[in-house]
Amino acid sequence: MRLVTGMLLGVVLAAGVLGAAVSQTRVDPATGAPVTTAAQLAARRNALVAGRQRTSGRVDWQGAVGGLRQTGGAGETLAPNLDKAAVDATRVPILLPTDADLTAGARLYSFGDYYTLTADAPGLGVSLSGTTTVVPLPAATPLKITPVGPEGATSQRTVDGQLISFVRYGVLYTVEVRCDAPTDPRCMDDNYAQGLAAKTTAVVMGAAARAEAGLGG
Amino acid sequence: MRRLTALSPLVLMAVLALGACEPKTPKPPTPGGEVKTPASPEPGAPTPEDAPGDGGAEQTPGEPIPPVAEPPVQPATPPAPTPATFDHGPPGAIPAGQGKGYLDRTVWSPSMCWPLEEAAFANSQVYGHGGGLGPAGTSQCDSANYSLPWRDNFCEARSRDTPLCAGGAGHQGQDIRPATCKKNLHWAVAAEKGVITDIGTYTVTLTASAAPHRTYRYLHMQMATLAVHEGDAVAVGQRLGKVANDFAGTPTTIHLHFEMRAGAAGVTTDGKTVVLHTFLPPYMSLAEAYQRKLNGAACGA
Repeated sequence: MRLVTGMLLGVVLAAGVLGAAVSQTRVDPATGAPVTTAAQLAARRNALVAGRQRTSGRVDWQGAVGGLRQTGGAGETLAPNLDKAAVDATRVPILLPTDADLTAGARLYSFGDYYTLTADAPGLGVSLSGTTTVVPLPAATPLKITPVGPEGATSQRTVDGQLISFVRYGVLYTVEVRCDAPTDPRCMDDNYAQGLAAKTTAVVMGAAARAEAGLGG
Repeated sequence: MRRLTALSPLVLMAVLALGACEPKTPKPPTPGGEVKTPASPEPGAPTPEDAPGDGGAEQTPGEPIPPVAEPPVQPATPPAPTPATFDHGPPGAIPAGQGKGYLDRTVWSPSMCWPLEEAAFANSQVYGHGGGLGPAGTSQCDSANYSLPWRDNFCEARSRDTPLCAGGAGHQGQDIRPATCKKNLHWAVAAEKGVITDIGTYTVTLTASAAPHRTYRYLHMQMATLAVHEGDAVAVGQRLGKVANDFAGTPTTIHLHFEMRAGAAGVTTDGKTVVLHTFLPPYMSLAEAYQRKLNGAACGA
C-alpha cells in the first residue's frame, strides 16, 4: 500500500513544479482539450515525489496556533459536549463550524491522526473530518475536478449529499453533508455545504495536539 | 431519439413506483444512531411495492442517467496478475454506452474483509435485468443477475461527481447483489476494524481504525434492523445489517452499494495538484477479498 503520511502541504507546494512540467501541454485539435504525454505525466509524478521528500509532512502548527488564538476559546463554547478524551487523543487541529446549534450535540471519533465529528440538523447529517494521511493516486489517471482557492477546495456531489475538501494548516479537512431525503435542496447543489465549510473556522486543540504544537498540556 | 428510447424504461418504472407510493409525512429529526426509517418487511423476495423507483441508479427519477456513447477505454498494458481466480470481469471493463471504466488495478484495501457473509454477485443494477436501462420486461431476480462473472461498475454512467472517472462523474462504488434475490436476509459485515461514525436514512458509514482510515459506506441495508449504532466500535467481519432495498422511502433494487473513500493526492486533468477526500475504485479490493473467502481465509487473518 502506497501510503504517505503528512505530505499534504508538500504536495500543495509542489504545484509550482508541476506547472513547469505541464507548460508544454498539447491541445487535442478535435476537442480543444489538453493532451498529456507520457513524458509529462512522468514529470508530474517525479515532481510529486520531490514535493513529498522536500517537506516530509508536518502539520503547520504555527498556523494552527494562530487559528487557535483567533478562535479565542470558542471551540469549547461551540461543542461543550465533545468527548474530552477523544479531543485530547487527536494529533491534528480539530476544526468546528461556528454554528452552536449544529455542534452542540456533536460526537467526536478520534483515531489520533484522523478524526471525524458527526452532527445532526433537521433532515440532514454533517460529518467533519481532518487527517494528515492520504494515498497518492496514479499519475497516469488525472482527476477531473477543479480545486479552487489557496486551500485547494473541491466539491463533489455524492449519492446523498455533498462533500467539500480543503487543505488548511497542512491538514486535509472534509465537510460532508448528507440529506435524509434525496430531493432535499441542501444536497442538490453545494451552496449549503460550501457555506458550512466557510464557517468551519474554530480551532480546537487537545492535549496531544498542544504537545505537538509545543504548547504543553 | 435513441437516448429517449434508452431512458424510457427508467422513466416508466419511476412513474409506476411513484403511483404506488403513499403520501409521506415528514419525520422529525432524530439524533444520530437511531433508526430513521420504518421497519422493512420480513425477509423475502421483492413484492410489487418494491419496484425500484430509481431503476437501480440511486438517483431520484427526475435525474436522468447521462448517456455515454464512447466505447470503453482499453488498458494500455496487460492486466496485472491478481490472486483472484474466480470468474470475474476485469476492472474498468464497462460495456460500450454504459460509461467509461476506471482502469487502474490498484488494490486500494489489500487486506479488506469481504463485506458480505455469503457469496454475492457484483454487477450493474441499472443495465442488468430489471434495471432501469436493462433488457425490457425483465426482473431484478432474473438468474442472469445472480450468476458469475462479476462486473465492475465503478464509473458506470451516473450524474454524481467521481473525479477518477473519465468525465468527472460516474458511479461512486460497486453494486453487489446478495446470495439470493431476497431482501432483509443476507448480512453485510465490516470490511475493516473501525467505528460506525454515521448512520443516515439508508447509509451506514464505517471509518477504519488503521491508516489511511478508509471510509466505507454501505447503502440500502434494512435500516430498521441494523446490528450497529453510531459510535459502535466494530471488529473486522462483524455483522452490520441485512442487505435490502432501502432508499429513503423509494425502493431501489435489492443490493448493497459499497463505497470506499480516503484522503488522496493526485493531479488534475489541467495539471494542478489536488488533495481531497474522494472515492476509490473498490472492485479489485472486493475481488481479492472474495477470493480469500473462497480460499477459506478468515477476515483479518
